Amino acid sequence: MLLRQSVNSSLFSVAGLIGAPVQDPQERDIGRVVDVVVRWDRGVYPQVSGLIIRIGFRRSFVHVEDVADIARRSVQLGSTKVDLSDFERREGEQLLHKDVIDHQLLDVDGARVVRAADLYLAHVGSRYWVVGVDVSFVSFLRRLLPAGMRSRATAERVLDFASIQPFGSPGAPVLLRRPHRGLQRLRPADLADLLEDLGRPERRELLSMLPPESAADVLEEMEPDHVRLLLGDVPLGQAAALVAMMEPDEAVDALRDLSAADRTDLLAQVPDARAAELRTLLEFPEGVAGGIMTTRIVVLSTHETIRDALDKVRAQRRESDVDGLVVIDEDGRLVDDLSLADLIDNEPDTSVGDVIGPPYPGTVRPDAELDEVVEQLIGNRGSSLVVVDGEHRPIGRILADDVVDALLDSDTERRWPWQLRGPVS
Amino acid sequence: MNEHQQILDPTASPAGDGVENAPVQARRSLRRIQIATLLGVLGPGLIAGLSDDDPAGITTYSVLGTKYGYQLLWVLTISTAALVLFQSLGARIGVVTGQGLAGLIRQKFGAWSAVVAILALLLANIGTTAAEFAGIAAGFELFGISRHFSVPVTAVLVSMLVLRGGFKGIERILLVLSAIFICYVAAGVLAHPDWGAAFKGLIVPTMPVTRDAVVIATATLGTTLAPWGLAFIQSYAVDKRLTTKSLPYLRIDVITGALLTGVIGFFVVVSCAATLHAKGLSINDAADAAAALEPLAGTLAKDLFAIGLIGAALLAASILPLSTAYSVSDLTGSPAALDDDLRSAPLFYGTFALVTVVGVALVLIPGAPLVAILVLTQVLNAVLLLPLLWFMYGIARDRELMGAYVAGRRIASAYLVAIAIIAICILSLGYLSLRP
Repeated sequence: MLLRQSVNSSLFSVAGLIGAPVQDPQERDIGRVVDVVVRWDRGVYPQVSGLIIRIGFRRSFVHVEDVADIARRSVQLGSTKVDLSDFERREGEQLLHKDVIDHQLLDVDGARVVRAADLYLAHVGSRYWVVGVDVSFVSFLRRLLPAGMRSRATAERVLDFASIQPFGSPGAPVLLRRPHRGLQRLRPADLADLLEDLGRPERRELLSMLPPESAADVLEEMEPDHVRLLLGDVPLGQAAALVAMMEPDEAVDALRDLSAADRTDLLAQVPDARAAELRTLLEFPEGVAGGIMTTRIVVLSTHETIRDALDKVRAQRRESDVDGLVVIDEDGRLVDDLSLADLIDNEPDTSVGDVIGPPYPGTVRPDAELDEVVEQLIGNRGSSLVVVDGEHRPIGRILADDVVDALLDSDTERRWPWQLRGPVS
Repeated sequence: MNEHQQILDPTASPAGDGVENAPVQARRSLRRIQIATLLGVLGPGLIAGLSDDDPAGITTYSVLGTKYGYQLLWVLTISTAALVLFQSLGARIGVVTGQGLAGLIRQKFGAWSAVVAILALLLANIGTTAAEFAGIAAGFELFGISRHFSVPVTAVLVSMLVLRGGFKGIERILLVLSAIFICYVAAGVLAHPDWGAAFKGLIVPTMPVTRDAVVIATATLGTTLAPWGLAFIQSYAVDKRLTTKSLPYLRIDVITGALLTGVIGFFVVVSCAATLHAKGLSINDAADAAAALEPLAGTLAKDLFAIGLIGAALLAASILPLSTAYSVSDLTGSPAALDDDLRSAPLFYGTFALVTVVGVALVLIPGAPLVAILVLTQVLNAVLLLPLLWFMYGIARDRELMGAYVAGRRIASAYLVAIAIIAICILSLGYLSLRP
């Protein structure tokens, strides 16, 4: 209680400061605080660079060095000379009242989108820093109170500003600030939730903060419908880069619902090999084996060795997950499906031909329905299933998690709200 | 090796069947997809528009037609134009900013504006929900079913549908339900109206300068352009994460919905004008209108009118609690949606329950001043429109928020004209009410 009181009394509420009188060194009121200007330098806490005050009909900027003291309800200037030119925002500056309070922010540690009800400043050394953001609804309602009560900090649910990723004010260059380091620690599924909760410009900004390969991972976690909409909303080059980096089966899910023209434009920007792969997958309708398989498979011939196989797995691992290796004969037809465990069980010099043998795996054709996929997958007792064409040549692999996704998709609409999963904590 | 082949693939067939079919399949799925895109967004605008023809709306239109015949039909023309204008704007704001109305008002206009607007919206929506359940009660009573049965049952049914099926599930039901509005068209035709006089009334603005006439004109504007409809269409666009690519489809949907709203309103007015007005009768609500229609236009017309009333009420009663819950939780900064569970979104489900329960209670509690509440609600809705439309106008003109989709000067002046008309109505209503 005491701690909270002392913390509260050493914090300045930005919302409370707005409208506070500004006094010159002779303690005469000369104007009122309109906004607090901060600069995002390298540090985690933004530093107050000055105040915007209204003097008569002008909005003037007062540099923080000319401010002698910021009290809870008033500001004391240390110098009588005030620059009367109108305020103009400089690069890297943000206005706390206009651009941050009541806007969406990212709470990186909590992995959620919040709206700032208030911001708190602390006086440390000779400078003022933004140290906390209040996100409680109570603090929001406090701002409706008369000025005297409004300025009292009520640190209810205050987040350390170090855990906040703010967004650029519209029109201000976004990439001036480094993305929060914590963003990289978030799981793709959490980032996907964040993207869904944000407003449109903020969503685009967050997406551009992420390295393309993590952004692609995040998109894989989103509903195909939302991915489709998102792809249509970002610049074509960025969309193509994302599509190229996504797992092919997930990318296809999103591409499928794009209009023909948009899809053609998008695929034209995707590297040729990848585009061809995606076009092949697109030919299969949704909900059948071809629609949920990935075309990235590791292929072995019978005369290769386990060592060769391991090398191939390592190479493929850089791009996508490997669940098994298909073994083909001279005509390219499927002979067997080896699991990673099979590779571990045998000496590196063993020939693949010596490892294969019954029981041979069940397979499906690309036009197989979901039921058949499930049946074969269960029959194999493995975690994936090989898809073969009419000539019995392997063309893809269906992973168990994609089957789970497909099954869930066909089931989600019929669930009661209390059965729905809450946020994973 | 060939033995393996047989074992592995008992269904092996001659080469290439899947591949040869592919181009045809691709073409077919393309066409399907474009229709699917349209169907994917078709609905919300239609529902938001048509649910403005709720019992409050039908009552207002009935009174307009019964008291003034075809004379005030032009008010409906203006209301419909304003509805087209602002529903499209709501959809556009939702799509472009990706934020709900409450959150945007908070962001742009500050804490006070947001709290007052949403509090007023909450009160107005509770009152409107009561009006919907009153409509359900009246509609079923015309068929001899007690309100103590019909109201609780429909309330539970509607809540379950919304909460269980999600909006996607109920949307289809709502669209089917909205076909019930054909009833009004049929009832209108059965009443054999004077079409010439009706069309003249639509275009030529004349009006008796009495308080009652101004009241009914204001109420028509307020009920057609309901605040909650505007909030709903925006949050729908946000919730679906629609982007500017879907905007053309969404606009078709919204405009169709708004125009249909006007058309149905027209037939309600016309059927009352041709019968009740011609005989010099007077009515208090839509159920009166339905009952009064019977001797004049036949039992079929009465039944159609009553069924339309019930359908309209169900439609609006499904959306109101949902839309209110969304707006309130949007204000706190953490917009919730139907896929959140009870524990993580207590405010969302709490508001939903509050709106539904109070709405039902007002209809069922004996001696509750229902009529007074309904009248107050109408006034509140109309008054609430002014700040709400002003906020929407401000957002539409904000280049930082709307970017390339900022409202140009021409469309902005159309918004201003509409706002001015509503302001004039409300001011003259206030003046005429206070004048001794």
